[in-house]
Amino acid sequence: MNPPGSLADVDPNLDEHLSTQILAPSVHSDNPQERIQARRLRIAARLEARRREALGEYLDGKKESEEDRSKSYKQKEESRLKLAKLLLCGTELVTNIQVAIDTREIHRRVEEEEIKRQRIEKLENEVKTSQDKFDEITSKWEEGKQKRIPQELWEMLNTQQLHCAGLLEDKNKLISELQQELKTKDDQYVKDLKKQSDDICLLLERMEQQVKNVMKTFREELYNIEKAFEVERQELLASNKKKWERALQAHNAKELEYLTNRMKKVEDYEKQLNRQRIRDCEEYNTIKIKLEQDVQILEQQLQQRKAIYQLNQEKLEYNLQVLKKRDEESTVIKSQQKRKINRLRDTLNNLRSKYAKQIKQFQEENQSLTLDYQSLVLQFKELQKAMRHFALIDDKKFREIWLMNEEEAKDLIARAFDVDRIIHTHHLGLPWTAPDFWFLKNVGPISQQPQKSATQIVEEMLMHTEEEEAEEAASEPESYLDLPKQISEKTTKRILMLLCDESGFLVESKLLSLLLPLEQNECYLLRLDAIFSALGIESEDDLYKLVNFFLKYRAHRLSSSLQIKSCSQASVEKASMEETSMGSELELAEQTEMEGEKEESLVEGEKEEEEETPPSPWVIHPNDVIKILEAFVMGLKKPRDSRAPPRVQKNVRNNSKDSEYWQALTTVIPSSKQNLWDALYTALEKYHIVLTQRAKLLQENSSLEQQNTELQVLLQQYLNSKINSELQVPPTQVLRVPKK
Amino acid sequence: MQDTVTTSALLDPSHSSVSTQDKSSTGGHTSSTGPQLSKPSITPVPAKSRNPHPGANFHRMRRIIAEDPEWSLAIVPLLTELCIQHIIRNFQKNPILKQMLPEHQQKVLNHLSPDLPLAVTANLIDNENYWLRCCMQRWPVCHVAHHGGSWKRMFFERHLENLLKHFIPGTTDPAVILDLLPLCRNYVRRVHVDQFLPPVRLPAQLRPGDQSDSGSEGEMEEPTVDHYQLGDLVAGLSHLEELDLVYDVKDCGMNFEWNLFLFTYRDCHSLAAAIKACHTLKIFKLTQSKVDDDKARIIIRSLLDHPVLEELDLSHNLIGDRGARGAAKLLSHSRLRVLNLANNQVRAPGAQSLAHALAHNTNLISLNLRLNCIEDEGGQALAHALQTNKCLTTLHLGGNELSEPTATLLSQVLAINTTLTSINLSCNHIGLDGGKQLLEGMSDNKTLLEFDLRLSDVAQESEYLIGQALYANREAARQRALNPSHFMSTITANGPENSVG
Repeated sequence: MNPPGSLADVDPNLDEHLSTQILAPSVHSDNPQERIQARRLRIAARLEARRREALGEYLDGKKESEEDRSKSYKQKEESRLKLAKLLLCGTELVTNIQVAIDTREIHRRVEEEEIKRQRIEKLENEVKTSQDKFDEITSKWEEGKQKRIPQELWEMLNTQQLHCAGLLEDKNKLISELQQELKTKDDQYVKDLKKQSDDICLLLERMEQQVKNVMKTFREELYNIEKAFEVERQELLASNKKKWERALQAHNAKELEYLTNRMKKVEDYEKQLNRQRIRDCEEYNTIKIKLEQDVQILEQQLQQRKAIYQLNQEKLEYNLQVLKKRDEESTVIKSQQKRKINRLRDTLNNLRSKYAKQIKQFQEENQSLTLDYQSLVLQFKELQKAMRHFALIDDKKFREIWLMNEEEAKDLIARAFDVDRIIHTHHLGLPWTAPDFWFLKNVGPISQQPQKSATQIVEEMLMHTEEEEAEEAASEPESYLDLPKQISEKTTKRILMLLCDESGFLVESKLLSLLLPLEQNECYLLRLDAIFSALGIESEDDLYKLVNFFLKYRAHRLSSSLQIKSCSQASVEKASMEETSMGSELELAEQTEMEGEKEESLVEGEKEEEEETPPSPWVIHPNDVIKILEAFVMGLKKPRDSRAPPRVQKNVRNNSKDSEYWQALTTVIPSSKQNLWDALYTALEKYHIVLTQRAKLLQENSSLEQQNTELQVLLQQYLNSKINSELQVPPTQVLRVPKK
Repeated sequence: MQDTVTTSALLDPSHSSVSTQDKSSTGGHTSSTGPQLSKPSITPVPAKSRNPHPGANFHRMRRIIAEDPEWSLAIVPLLTELCIQHIIRNFQKNPILKQMLPEHQQKVLNHLSPDLPLAVTANLIDNENYWLRCCMQRWPVCHVAHHGGSWKRMFFERHLENLLKHFIPGTTDPAVILDLLPLCRNYVRRVHVDQFLPPVRLPAQLRPGDQSDSGSEGEMEEPTVDHYQLGDLVAGLSHLEELDLVYDVKDCGMNFEWNLFLFTYRDCHSLAAAIKACHTLKIFKLTQSKVDDDKARIIIRSLLDHPVLEELDLSHNLIGDRGARGAAKLLSHSRLRVLNLANNQVRAPGAQSLAHALAHNTNLISLNLRLNCIEDEGGQALAHALQTNKCLTTLHLGGNELSEPTATLLSQVLAINTTLTSINLSCNHIGLDGGKQLLEGMSDNKTLLEFDLRLSDVAQESEYLIGQALYANREAARQRALNPSHFMSTITANGPENSVG
């Protein structure tokens, strides 16, 4: 009930607030947003007003009843207090008895304790005295036993009896006293019981009284409260009724007002209706006339339309006729077409069957072809095999032919050279030098020499060095291998040894254990193999690169320390093995001579200069080996990647140089020389002719001489013959024999 | 009117023919004869005399005059009704209840006799109405509120109580109680027995004097005066929460003997074992049973570390300082909330030990030491303990020979403590000065609601003023209870609201 009241309290403020707000946005504003806002506010205000109407009255009534309510509340509070007090007092009254009994009990206990204490004391005293007495008596018994005289004994017995009687009396007295006390206690107990029962009675009485009282007062208070509420309710009802009546009256008045308003409005509307009717009638008439005119026009138009229709109908009939004819024609065409279709269908069927046949045929064909294909593949494979075989054979044949041709050519060349030499020496009297051409040394077909693997080279190298060591004195330092890059074998070997020692970590431990029993060289070889495989060095070039790299590195180091170069050089020269350095220098010299014309770059020269300083492996510090290796591996990576493809084409022979080779073979004798030869030839020809003439002449001469001699002989014979003598005239006489 | 309707419905076949025959004539007639039809034995004569149409009447007469003079128009009872009657009659032999519809169950239960054997009804019937009738039949006064508002529970508890009250060891068959056990074990929560009969001893009558005189003989006889051993019973009751025992004999009349009132060591031991085994026990009361220090200690030892025990009442016994020390130990070894040692023989040392335990206790809310003799030493110790205790709300120190020094300390406690709501110092010797000091302490206290100072030599004026202070505290507490959040501001607002509602 309270919340609406409090809300109503707040409402007026809210309303005022709203009314002020309504002023701000206007319904007639240009801004649509504002207008919407204004309308909303207006609706809200109306609702609010209605609500306030309802609540406001309620609030008024409530305010009026506030006092009454507080009255009832007061009544309630009053009765509550009264009842609480009553209850409290009543309980106090009832419990008072208990408390009183408690105190009495406490007092009794205290007294009892005191009495008990006294009694115990008394009893103890009594015990003591009676014990004394008893002792006395018992001691006297002893005395009595010694007495012999009866009178004395009797006397003593009498006194003893008296004593005992006294003692007994004392005891009896005590007992009676105690019994007396017990009796009084019993009486007391009975009294106490009585009293307690009285108390209990009182307690019950009071409780009953209390209950009655409480009931009565509760009832009364309830009645009072109810009455208060009743009164309040009545008042509330009355006020509400009054309010209701007032509201009803207001409602009635308003209703009446509405009614009169309505009546007035009805009359108004009636008048308006009449006026409207008249106006409408006039309007109706004018419209009617207008419409009739329209109808006439339309009828005319209708007639026209009809005529047009007639015309159209005739036209259409004619068209129909035409179309019918066309239809007939079309039926004829249709039948024709049908027939055609049938024919075409037949052909289609035929074609289909043909097609099926064809398919079958092609399938068969396909099968046969696949079989063929398989056989062909087999054949092809065989062919390939054969081809390979033939290729090999061809190769071989080629090689053989090549060799043969070459041999032939070489023979020819040799002969040419011989001839040349002979010409030079014999005929021209010039000294002859054999021309030196690269192709002369070539044996077999020209091809890129297969690259040797690094390990092979190393192996070879090691072998050589070993040999060298073996016949150190005998063999002069000479490179068996064609190590091209100005590096001596020993240097290389040393570098490799160093590498082998320093980068043992690249070798697997297992391998190391396996290597132990082997020979030193083999051991080195295997270890190097492992290291190379770890570093990725495969070919000869790589190996030389590595060695070069080492040397460059060292050179770099050296150039950085140029000032101490001389002294170091001296020391190094002393320290290093002279032979090796000498050998390397010699070798270098040779090679530079041989290739000096080709290599003219400054870098090379510089390098050579550097190389001249004896390359000693000791200059490279073992500690640097790892760094160098690292740098090398980093550098090696790039070229390595682009190496794969050329391998594939290895089988294809490069015959570009062949013609050149053969050409070169043909031109082994230069043209100048040929010219010379030609000149020589013509000269010799002439010379020959002369000589032949001379020979002929000589022959003639000799034959003539022979004839001469023969003739002389014949003559002699004749002369000497007997016939001659016989003859009348001897010829000899006739003849004048030539005198010598 | 209802009668006419029913009868007409019943007599439909014949009556309809009548109504068709003379509808117009009997229009008003039926209404007049209607009520009479309900008494068929009387109707024929007036109907005959009144009815002007004999033809129509003939049918009706034939209808109404039955051959059976006892013919009645009462409704033949429904078959279900008959079945229910039968079930009620034979309930003892064939108890059918759970299978029936609820309404029929209700009917059966309303008509069952309360005298049915418990073996049949105990676990079958839960209806409170039935047990209400059972209780009302057996006992004239029934306070169902004392038994948790359950009539069934009340019936079983009181039944068990009756059996225990009249159990005579050695004479009564123990099976009487043990047979009941399976029936009542789920319903009994509280056992309240205010007498235990000793075994009957015929020869004992010959020498009552000897027993009262000589302790030695009494001790020899003691085993024979043991009471009923509660062990089996307590172990059997699975929901037992309260045990309220008084080892006493009522209405002994002229057969009075001192040893009727003995609480023997064996009783004590068996009781201790029983309560130790009972883990559901919350309230244990053993009053007016001559429990002395040793027995109290035996019982308290069995209660140490009991899981749920909340209330211990050993009032009206003979417990001295040693027993009080035992109780103090129990305070620190259990969850005891209420301890009652009223009317015992606790003196200053016992009170001091209790105070020591109380100083750091957080469970105990009520302590009753009425009618002991703790005197100022004990009172001061307790007051010191209350300065640190934050749990105790009720303290009864009535009749303890306390005087001014205790009052001085208590007044300091009153100023500090905010948990105490009730103190009773009646029947002490507080004195005028003590009263003034208490008044001073009271002026700083806002929580105390009851403070009893009757018969303690306090000046009327200070008692009155203390009463005023208590009244103010009570009002404040009431407001707090009405609306805990904002009690002061809404007093005026509350009033009208309540009155309207």
